[in-house]
Amino acid sequence: MRPTRWELLSFILGFGGLALLPLGFGGHSYVFTIGFSALLYVALSLSWNILGGFGGQLSFGFAAFYGLGAYSTAFLVKAGWPLFPSYLIGGLIASVFSVLIGYPCFRLRGPYFLIATIGVAEAVRVIALNWESVSGGAMGISLPMIGTASRLPDYYSALFLAAVVLIVSYLIRESKFGLSLFAVKMDLDAAESLGVNSISKKILAHLVAAFFVGIAGGLYAKYALFIEPETVFGFHVSITMVLMPVVGGMGTLLGPVLGAVFFSIVQEELLVIFPTVHLLLYGLLLMVVVLFEPKGFVGLLQRAKIIRPQPFQ
Amino acid sequence: MEAGTLLNLISILISSILMAGFYASMACGLALIFGVMGVINLAHAGLITLAAYLTFQVSESSGVDPFLLIFLIMPLFFFLGMILQKSMVKRVAPAEKGPTASLLLLFGVWLILQNIAYWAWGGDPRSILRPYSFYSFQIGAVKVPFIRTIVFASGIASLLCLHQFLKRTFIGKAIRAVSQNRQACALVGINVEKTSSLAFGIGIAFCGLAGVFVSVLYAFTPDFGREILLKSFAIVILGGLQSFQGAILGGLALATVESWSIYFIEASYQPAIAFALLVVALILMPTGFMGIIEKRRRK
Repeated sequence: MRPTRWELLSFILGFGGLALLPLGFGGHSYVFTIGFSALLYVALSLSWNILGGFGGQLSFGFAAFYGLGAYSTAFLVKAGWPLFPSYLIGGLIASVFSVLIGYPCFRLRGPYFLIATIGVAEAVRVIALNWESVSGGAMGISLPMIGTASRLPDYYSALFLAAVVLIVSYLIRESKFGLSLFAVKMDLDAAESLGVNSISKKILAHLVAAFFVGIAGGLYAKYALFIEPETVFGFHVSITMVLMPVVGGMGTLLGPVLGAVFFSIVQEELLVIFPTVHLLLYGLLLMVVVLFEPKGFVGLLQRAKIIRPQPFQ
Repeated sequence: MEAGTLLNLISILISSILMAGFYASMACGLALIFGVMGVINLAHAGLITLAAYLTFQVSESSGVDPFLLIFLIMPLFFFLGMILQKSMVKRVAPAEKGPTASLLLLFGVWLILQNIAYWAWGGDPRSILRPYSFYSFQIGAVKVPFIRTIVFASGIASLLCLHQFLKRTFIGKAIRAVSQNRQACALVGINVEKTSSLAFGIGIAFCGLAGVFVSVLYAFTPDFGREILLKSFAIVILGGLQSFQGAILGGLALATVESWSIYFIEASYQPAIAFALLVVALILMPTGFMGIIEKRRRK
């Protein structure tokens, strides 16, 4: 299925508008700060959606990939590498790690994968906290400043990454690989009996997702110039990546984007005023979505007949 | 072997057995609920932490011994579990809604409980100190901590009660039957819904019990839950996900590895041990100890 005219138009207008945004705002750094984090969230949310939404495999441990990407990029940049190869290597390291986790867990049916992902993220965090000679422990590590202090390059890198992840998600959804992921999500036995190798599909989806999450971690490290285990490996990072696509609408392309935008607004506006409610808010959101509208925002839009329902959600 | 080493060995053995009693009662609720409903209770650790805080609060303000509060907390949590099941978990049964809905829902419950704990008690570590907290007695030349012995004894006693209940009463038999085959149970006239919510309530009641134990054994914070959850998972997977006796074996395995590892691994890496065991179990024996025992029996 080729993209409809509306999809193509909204993609071009959306990303084109975001790319031209700096012209309008000149050097306003606040806009780029918010824009950067929103676009980074979009990339993270869409990446999680490749495995969790298309393949139906919930992971609560994506912080491991985010942190691995961030730390690898930080080490490489400190060693004098240029930025783009460092990002790529960060992504590659994350995806190699994803195969190491995925291989034992995906062989088993049932909730083993989810349980293992919580464990992986927790173990990696503990190791990063304690292995001080390498990670700097709780003190974290600082990166040297690269280029100018302007936020503009960061903004464009995040925009580029978000666009790439969206296009890749689209290509996956339309491909045979995407169809087999949907089949695995809907009925594993039926999919297997029709010749879908469910294990390798899940591992591949995990790998692709981890690659992009790793790169996003690298972008964050370059942006923040300082990382420590709690901010990149912490459990809240994993929770964020679960929440955005779930609230927006798992298994769609629009949903994770809406979820990410909603989430960055909540983070920037609401939680500044009420800093102690974030867990309560996330928990309530999850419960409301699961009980009343499992398709999230996209489901609401479909009910209001603004967008048409798609096959294979 | 020198006398000192032997003594060390014995005391490690004793301490791991004592810990295993606690671990088994901590994890059996998870195994029971998964067995009957096919739901992984991600709110497990949140409920344990909540029970620990409640015990702390009541025993600090009224001076009642925390162990007596078991008789208050367990019924309370039983009803809490029933309410949770009837109002929400029932509506996201994995058989109809797929496996993800119940996971996300209970995860949401956990986050809310964690936030409540932050609000009510703050982020500082809390612990209950009683006159007997640091008391220990001698058996021969081995020192045995008193509090752990009490935890072990009450944990094992409750597990035995549960075992007898599941084995002898009608409801207990119904619970076991539902965990074996839901549809067959409905066919022979067992009220599957009622049985499920009872089982869920019992599972949550054991979360309450574990919470009381946590409050006397550890200094805990609202974040303590992740470690508990991970350990509970490791235990039930080591044992075999649905089996109740497996939880005891898994608890013993985790406790043994943890106490031995002190000799080889720094204490700060301790939280990673549960995870390492989990992965080893997933790769080497995905059906757990009970699966292996079953296989032997069939041969």
